[in-house]
Amino acid sequence: MARASTTADVFNAIAEAHRRDILDVLVEGEKSVGAIVDELAIPQPQVSKHLRVLSEVGLVRCRAVGRSHLYRLNPASLRPLRDWVTKYELLWNERLDRMDDYLIELQRQAGKPDQHKEGAP
Amino acid sequence: MTTTRHGSATFEFTDRAVTMQRKFEAPLALVFDVLTKPEHVRVWFPADDVSLHICEIDLRVGGEYHYAWYAPGDKECSFRGTFFEIERPTRIVCTWLFEGWPDDEAVETMTLTEDGGITTLTDILEFKTPENLGDHFQVNDGAQASWDKLEDLLAGLQAGRS
Repeated sequence: MARASTTADVFNAIAEAHRRDILDVLVEGEKSVGAIVDELAIPQPQVSKHLRVLSEVGLVRCRAVGRSHLYRLNPASLRPLRDWVTKYELLWNERLDRMDDYLIELQRQAGKPDQHKEGAP
Repeated sequence: MTTTRHGSATFEFTDRAVTMQRKFEAPLALVFDVLTKPEHVRVWFPADDVSLHICEIDLRVGGEYHYAWYAPGDKECSFRGTFFEIERPTRIVCTWLFEGWPDDEAVETMTLTEDGGITTLTDILEFKTPENLGDHFQVNDGAQASWDKLEDLLAGLQAGRS
């Protein structure tokens, strides 16, 4: 099966632990590559590579100040992830609500709850 | 009929796992039956306008389960897996595959506890790596970057339910 490239979208971009760490560091505010390297103790080339992936999917924005580049979080780009989580929760909540209704119906049909004891054969 | 527990499931997302919890007003043995017997699963698992054309559960260690249905648009969706721990009627550990992706197999652990006639289901879905959970977030079967497939699936499952 063909795998999507890691730069494909927000979901894959945040699937990598170091990239999530970088996002966590940037929650505090705008930082240079050097400051991120210092905080996370990840080699600079790797941090730059991750920042490139994060930039490509719009999770971080970059601006040049003098000779250094400053990176900041772009929270709006996390929207698809939040939407996905919301949908996942909605789907499972609905399924479990159906199970809930069904359990109540079964017990109602049985007259009283403790008539259903055939659980474990 | 009470609906007070509707929408009450809780979800916790970590690196590579999702933990879901939900309480039911029913004895544990009945909840176990409803979770593991095809005649029950057929009733509650699919949304109103969808039915399972495959619903097989061979509940023994090494046995397999397979649910499949067609979402509107004739898109076939399925869950399948193999049981590898069964402690009737409180705990099941099995593999979990969505749409048959061998690379993203997860381990599902379902635990039931009962307290005063209220049964709590805890369902942990643990992927091998954060990347696998990431794949699931993406729900993508190729190079195209989108989660449309999941969106369609969700829309299909929710169709007819406001």
